[in-house]
Amino acid sequence: MARLVVVQQKQPSFSLLPSSLSDFNGVRLSNSSIQQFSKRKEWQAKGAFQVKASSAKKILIMGGTRFIGVFLSRLLVKEGHQVTLFTRGKTPITQQLPGESDQDYADFSSKILHLKGDRKDFEFVKTSLAAEGFDVVYDINGREADEVEPILDGLPKLEQYIYCSSAGVYLKSDLLPHFETDAVDPKSRHKGKLETESLLDSRGVNWTSIRPVYIYGPLNYNPVEEWFFHRLKAGRPVPIPNSGVQITQLGHVKDLARAFVQVLGNAKASKQVYNISGEKYVTFDGLARACAKAAGFPEPEIVHYNPKEFDFGKKKAFPFRDQHFFASVEKAKTELGWKPEFDLIEGLADSYNLDFGRGTYRKAADFSTDDMILNKSLVLQS
Amino acid sequence: MAVVSSSSSFLSSLALNLPSSALSSHPRIRFSSTLFSLFPSSSPSSLSSSLSISSSFLFYPVSCRRPSVSSSFSVKASAEKKKVLIVNTNSGGHAVIGFYFAKELLSSGHDVTILTVGDESSNKMKKPPFSRFSEIVSAGGRTVWGDPSEVGKVVGGAAFDVVLDNNGKDLDTVRPVADWAKSTGVKQFLYISSAGIYKPTDEPPHVEGDVVKADASHVAVEKYIAEVFTNWAIFRPQYMIGSGNNKDCEEWFFDRIVRDRPVPIPGSGMQLTNIAHVRDLSSMLTLAVENPAASSGNIFNCVSDRAVTLDGMAKLCAQATGRPVKIVHYDPKAVGIDAKKAFPFRNMHFYAEPRAAKDILGWKCTTNLPEDLKERFDEYIKIGRDKKPMQFELDDKILDSLKVAVAV
Repeated sequence: MARLVVVQQKQPSFSLLPSSLSDFNGVRLSNSSIQQFSKRKEWQAKGAFQVKASSAKKILIMGGTRFIGVFLSRLLVKEGHQVTLFTRGKTPITQQLPGESDQDYADFSSKILHLKGDRKDFEFVKTSLAAEGFDVVYDINGREADEVEPILDGLPKLEQYIYCSSAGVYLKSDLLPHFETDAVDPKSRHKGKLETESLLDSRGVNWTSIRPVYIYGPLNYNPVEEWFFHRLKAGRPVPIPNSGVQITQLGHVKDLARAFVQVLGNAKASKQVYNISGEKYVTFDGLARACAKAAGFPEPEIVHYNPKEFDFGKKKAFPFRDQHFFASVEKAKTELGWKPEFDLIEGLADSYNLDFGRGTYRKAADFSTDDMILNKSLVLQS
Repeated sequence: MAVVSSSSSFLSSLALNLPSSALSSHPRIRFSSTLFSLFPSSSPSSLSSSLSISSSFLFYPVSCRRPSVSSSFSVKASAEKKKVLIVNTNSGGHAVIGFYFAKELLSSGHDVTILTVGDESSNKMKKPPFSRFSEIVSAGGRTVWGDPSEVGKVVGGAAFDVVLDNNGKDLDTVRPVADWAKSTGVKQFLYISSAGIYKPTDEPPHVEGDVVKADASHVAVEKYIAEVFTNWAIFRPQYMIGSGNNKDCEEWFFDRIVRDRPVPIPGSGMQLTNIAHVRDLSSMLTLAVENPAASSGNIFNCVSDRAVTLDGMAKLCAQATGRPVKIVHYDPKAVGIDAKKAFPFRNMHFYAEPRAAKDILGWKCTTNLPEDLKERFDEYIKIGRDKKPMQFELDDKILDSLKVAVAV
């Protein structure tokens, strides 16, 4: 065992391990558990290995097991930080990502820590956080301002509070894109996010707020790209409300995760808001075509309809808000030197190849609203 | 990759990319065109964006780079006085660009000659901005008229440091100006092209480096300029407003709103366009003149940093007048009219963003449509245009046909 520890210390990067391990990248394995187990034991034995010992932080992520945090936590662990996920434990703390090598997954799961609890239990939040003490909090799943108070109360020496807000806070405007300085809507569906931003500012803590637009990528639990993929796979027409020229914006979750990492310990980001999403926007019709192109489906038949002519009840007939909605990411690019790595087609292909294209999705296909729309247009044609 | 931000981060990013010896003599940082594009540019070698930093640019004091709405430029590296020739079109939406640019250069202390195409006595000269060219003269500028293919003769053999061609849309028209400029040692050649040459896309906005329509006549001009000159910059504008405009823009909406007429807009009204105050176009050009090393070899979308929908523009115009507006949408094909004749903007998304100007020149947009349109409306009333009798033949045809459709 001691010999193994010595070997590990001489190898600062896991990519230097025997090349046969790299063959496992991206390939799903069924009977490699023995090798995986022995590797995990090695990494556990050597203790906390820190890549950047001087700047390593003790980080708490509120959430972190579902989508953004899954990617963010991996980046942070790779940078050598000690990362704890605060969740109720309903979702497995770690899951191997499609395309993630066994060694990477084993390394990550051996290092990630879990603090089990309900963030709505404010007393527990305050006392458990105070007991642990964290340098930085990433609040990925916070919705209401009152959820933040116990965190701040429990961590008086907190260096930075990094919040996942939403571009949904912007007041609807005839002038786009939304810039961080634009008016916000105190009545929006996302007003909890706004109230959280205000609270952070009023408490004098060093905060940074990230406002994503529509997030996409593998493991997306919001049926954004998935909605299109279901219809493309079924060879069905894609029903798009009104003209189809409404412009929206998608941002890849991995680019978002990198932005979150880039604000960590960054003095420029102190008390700043950043829009984070793709560099280009896309029309609704264009998105249908892009999903087809990325996934290798033929160009879809698009059917436009007037949503006012239908009563869909509680069901959502289309995953996007029926309006132009996009934000400038110029500030993040200029101030943080951040830049999205994925363009739309590449990003959708990444999502398809690692998720839907492998037969996984979060929400089963439901074409009931589609059929209402298509049946009506059939009637009109006849 | 952030290049123009606060000077400290700028220098540190510079340090990462260049060997220290390069800093002393006009280093050239090459941006790959993929920085701004999703698709390869049609002519990657000559039109790819590249960045070069002159040493005077590096030491620009941080304090002057504070963003401020009132100042139109934040990078002012060179105090050198330039002799600038503007070859200006005698009509159309771009005419006003030369007018503002001339006045701005003059107030910055540069020497300006503006050559307007055609005859000084032509009826075209009775319209703005030409009717106000005395303002250029009293500011110390020189105004001449003539045929740009004889530019040398028209300017009386004078020599210039900088030439802006704000006239030609095709190579036949620009070539003589470019060739003359090259032969007389003009150091910097600037060209007003058009954002209309971008290929329509599912993924707005148009950014510098995106694919352009191969058959657009401006493309040949852009290529030629890039071949002939070492120091060149190309500007692609969209629509503009501003006093002295030769072509109606907001006036089209005001005409209808003040007469309580419906505003017919083709399609859904959701199409995005880009309408800038011409002072922003002028400030971008001035930054290029005063930062020739930084601007060299670049294409700049010469537009505001906000899109507005066609419906949005109608609403903002109405707000500026303090009156209500009734917007009516129509399908030009169904009505049987040419939308180009019936409506002043393109019937499609037509939206470019000025990313290169912001990144490379530190240019700031000051266009504020709600405020700017109020000023425009004040002038509209002052000149009595609201009382002017007008015919709205195409509008009436549209409105009639819509009534017919509804009656069924």
